[in-house]
Amino acid sequence: MASYIARRVAYLIPIWLGITLLAFLISTLAPGDPAQIYFQRTRGRQPTQQELQIVRERFNLDEPVVEQYLSWLSGAVRGDLGVSFTTGKPVLDELLLRFPATLTLAFWATVVTVVVAIPIGILAAIRRNSVLDQVTRAMSMLGASIPSFWLALLLIILFSVKLQWLPASGQQGWESLILPALALGLGDAAVVARLTRSSLLEIINEDYVKTARAKGLSEGRIMIRHILRNGMGAVVTQIGLAFGFLLAYSAIVEVIFVWPGIGRLAVDAIGQRDYTMIQGFVVFAGSIFVLINLAVDLSYMWLDPRVTLSGDKAVAG
Amino acid sequence: MADAAVTASAPELQAPALLPPRSLLRQLGGDRTALAGLVILVLMYTAALAAPMIAPQDPNEQDVGNRYAPVSFEHPLGTDNLGRDELSRLLYGARVSLFTALGVGVAILAIGIVVGSIAGFAGGFVDGLLMRIVDVLLAFPSLLLALAITGMLGPGLLHLMVGMVAVWWTDYARMMRGLVLSMRERPFVESARAVGLPGRLVASRHVLPNIVGPVIVLGTVQTGRLLLALSALSFLGLGVQPPTSEWGAMLSEGQQYLASAPQLMVYPGIAITLAALGFNLLGDGLRDVLDPTMEH
Amino acid sequence: MTAFKGSWSGRVVALGLLGAFILPACAVGGESDGGSPDAVEQKLVVGADEDGYTTEGAEADVGQYPLNANIFESLVRMDESYEIEPALATSWEFVAPNTWRFKLREGVTFHDGTPFDAEAVKYTFDRVAKTGGGTPGFAKNGTKVIDDYTVEVTPQFDNRRLLEQLVHPSYSIIAPGSSPGKKPIGTGPFSLVEYERQQQIVVERYDDYWGEPAQLDEITFRFLPDPNARRLALEAGEVDLVLDVAREAIPDLESKGFVIAESQPGAYSAMYLNISGQKGYTILQDSDVRHAIGNAIDRDTLIDGIFEGLATDEQTMVPSRLLGDANASKVEGYSFDSAAAAQLLEDAGWTMGSDGVREKDGEPLRLQLINGFPSASDHGAVPEFIQGQLGDVGIEVEIVKTPDTASYEERLAAGEGDIWMEQGSQNDANPLFLPALLFWSVGLFGDIGYQQLFAPGGEFDVLIEDALATPNPAEVKELVGEAMHVLIDQEAVVIPLAGLYRINVLTDEVQGFNTQPSGLQIRYDTVSMGNGAS
Repeated sequence: MASYIARRVAYLIPIWLGITLLAFLISTLAPGDPAQIYFQRTRGRQPTQQELQIVRERFNLDEPVVEQYLSWLSGAVRGDLGVSFTTGKPVLDELLLRFPATLTLAFWATVVTVVVAIPIGILAAIRRNSVLDQVTRAMSMLGASIPSFWLALLLIILFSVKLQWLPASGQQGWESLILPALALGLGDAAVVARLTRSSLLEIINEDYVKTARAKGLSEGRIMIRHILRNGMGAVVTQIGLAFGFLLAYSAIVEVIFVWPGIGRLAVDAIGQRDYTMIQGFVVFAGSIFVLINLAVDLSYMWLDPRVTLSGDKAVAG
Repeated sequence: MADAAVTASAPELQAPALLPPRSLLRQLGGDRTALAGLVILVLMYTAALAAPMIAPQDPNEQDVGNRYAPVSFEHPLGTDNLGRDELSRLLYGARVSLFTALGVGVAILAIGIVVGSIAGFAGGFVDGLLMRIVDVLLAFPSLLLALAITGMLGPGLLHLMVGMVAVWWTDYARMMRGLVLSMRERPFVESARAVGLPGRLVASRHVLPNIVGPVIVLGTVQTGRLLLALSALSFLGLGVQPPTSEWGAMLSEGQQYLASAPQLMVYPGIAITLAALGFNLLGDGLRDVLDPTMEH
Repeated sequence: MTAFKGSWSGRVVALGLLGAFILPACAVGGESDGGSPDAVEQKLVVGADEDGYTTEGAEADVGQYPLNANIFESLVRMDESYEIEPALATSWEFVAPNTWRFKLREGVTFHDGTPFDAEAVKYTFDRVAKTGGGTPGFAKNGTKVIDDYTVEVTPQFDNRRLLEQLVHPSYSIIAPGSSPGKKPIGTGPFSLVEYERQQQIVVERYDDYWGEPAQLDEITFRFLPDPNARRLALEAGEVDLVLDVAREAIPDLESKGFVIAESQPGAYSAMYLNISGQKGYTILQDSDVRHAIGNAIDRDTLIDGIFEGLATDEQTMVPSRLLGDANASKVEGYSFDSAAAAQLLEDAGWTMGSDGVREKDGEPLRLQLINGFPSASDHGAVPEFIQGQLGDVGIEVEIVKTPDTASYEERLAAGEGDIWMEQGSQNDANPLFLPALLFWSVGLFGDIGYQQLFAPGGEFDVLIEDALATPNPAEVKELVGEAMHVLIDQEAVVIPLAGLYRINVLTDEVQGFNTQPSGLQIRYDTVSMGNGAS
């Protein structure tokens, strides 16, 4: 087990290097001379040749690409992701400043998902093929098909514009958390409910459950003693994965609700072609996902002893 | 957000026995879910193709004096902020949205099959390298990565497609590799090898036919997800440029009039949801038919 | 990664700790003003545009620009008619050849208690000089303290318009030794409580203000970059006042009982045409095509339909209120005449092709429209409307979106584009500023990217140079009026679309709000909260 964890962590290093390379390559896609753009943006005028040269030297822009990458990487390893093209502040500081907001949103969206999805999933599994099961199935299909940003807009129309119960923007206390968390969490709840149902069904069909039933144990007892206990490993894993996805999909919801998280920061950075910020964001978000991935794997292993320790499961997107 | 379900399970897909096409269709006909999905998609794609014939108006024809017009015979869904016919814009928008999703879907399928097969058949260093690339791409939420790439390239439908193709081929590659590896160990392939059939023949006769099923299932659901991702990126202004209509872009425009003319963002939202639902229903049904052992 | 590993992985792995980490984060966001409807608290919440402050170095301008939080004041200010009024300076005179002498107001204190005097003015202007001197061209050592309350300013170049430029909040006076990036300390009616970047800036009444103290206890300016979010925040009762609301939202807001406060026209929407473009962008070198574009646009429909009737058909670019009617009337502008437009295009050799797009020598009449300055979202549906209008006379238009000013200026520097959509505002009392900055071939600050595409040279330059040389404001207005006639009617470099005014929307609880043609000049010291009419 310890060696598995060690192996699993060691495996992250090449992946993380790959992420930094990817982030670096993406920023080279941008058209235009970054030195000129940086100067124009920070000073509001065209640079002279001499000034351009100063900027190039400052950002190592006239070095070969490989060296640019390596010097950027050596900074990244030390937590230095450079300074933002638009604000001149360290990229990592900006990301860390905004990350709690995203984390908060993703956390509460996950709460929405869990509160809605798990009971429904359990009920659907117990009452298999009942009306409830059919309704769940239909709802989960629909949930998986509704774009979360559209759901967000519909929620705004209903709760902010028509009913005026909840704020449509900003970070003004608990009320402003409700709509974005719902918009993010509900769609995902549909998927998690289905997954809860199917992983419980797998267990219900397993021999020891049948045996327990044959022994005359009550259904409620079977549910708690055997099914839930064994099924929750898979469900918790799903929630972990879902949390990762909510982090990702929060970008658009953050934009709509003017939520000051890293997703909105990234979308703004893209609009402003803030190369260093986009680079930093890719590394930052990539790192977070790798770690969530690891956490999910390890907790899966811990919660569900039946899991073998061989294959590597990756969070996919 | 639907990603979690399918992707997580994709690498574990086991190849089912392939059903002959005719019986596949008949079985699909028996599955109400799949049939519903198929009907939705056929109707929508047909409407998109036939847009020039069935659209009541030129989708770009402005009539500013008649903006936000209510439902009428002339404008079955009313008009938008520039007095353009909403239904015509939806129909023409369907062409962009549906066929872009399909185009990206086919492109990533091709790339994924090639890369996955190479990795699966070649093994060793090539396999290791390709799979590490896949791992890196999968370590990152596709939508955000596509957003970053397209954002760097600059807005435009072509750039958007490039950004999407660049990140989404990985699921197929992984699945393909897994299938190739599992097939290689199956008794019938080993025995085919043993009797001296050349590798290429083994591949085309025995391995490939067995993976069509899972690919169709994944492809169907995947295209639905691509449609959602496309709309999302387009909603953020990275896709088509005016006056071209596209559902995500229409939604984004409609958002401006959210309080005063909410119908402008409701229609394209319904269209996206319906199309995505079509793909999901069909995918779900196909999974039941092609692989009854899997239940999701 | 290794950098985060120590701090992050431990937290993420343990689900229990994760919750512990998140909950305090919520508590931070949990602060709320409540805004209970019945108590008439003297607190105002304003929905403002995005946070555009610079927070670093000598250019830091928190509280000053672009959002004037009323923390700072300038030596002079202007009224709604662009007339100069005393503020921190009580009188001034121009001393030939190139010096301005100001008598300063006595008995004024900064928010930290330091007295306001000539040293503060010197500190402020020298600070601007360090970063190039700004529009007035403050010189290093160009500001001299004569006595405690007398200061002399000698700019880098002959500047007859310095007084009119000083109304801009970028030149408002900051406390000696302070930096707005660290802590904004001014003399204004409000002092800083808190500034949270991208979130809000909160100010409270400064009780020792030299003038009539403000009526409000506190103002919170919330940064809401999305116009739609600003408007929804108003409808949801989260803010009391929204600055610069999108026009398409106005009819609906009005019907819901909100108060619409329109200013005098102080801005414009216009297209700048690339008259000297390089390869790929040469079509508009032909003056006939440029005039045809001017005639192809139905401004009545544009104003009624796209601007929702909330714009004027003023075609002077520089506000006519500033120029004076006599000077403004020198500009004829364009009227909608698609037949004339078609004829001009025919004359220029562009004949109608089969697909509805005109052609010449096998080349289609296809133009790129860059949308736009200051940002694409500011232009709403205007570019698409223009695309439709020009399409009607056989000009195909491709719209290129530039999401923000920086990307627009990058594009401009590269010279890639035919038609450039701009919204400009008159932010000081100097009518010469924009024409000389953008279209004079020498350029107030040299070639800033506009000159290479838009400067017509010739007569226009002569008029601008004459205007720059004269100390007489009336003569300046006359010369600028003529220059705009050349620029718009003769050269057709600028095709004006509409005169714009700022539209602010407020709840009926907000009393005493005064609009200003320039958003930078809005004063909140007269505002108070009362019970709504309902």
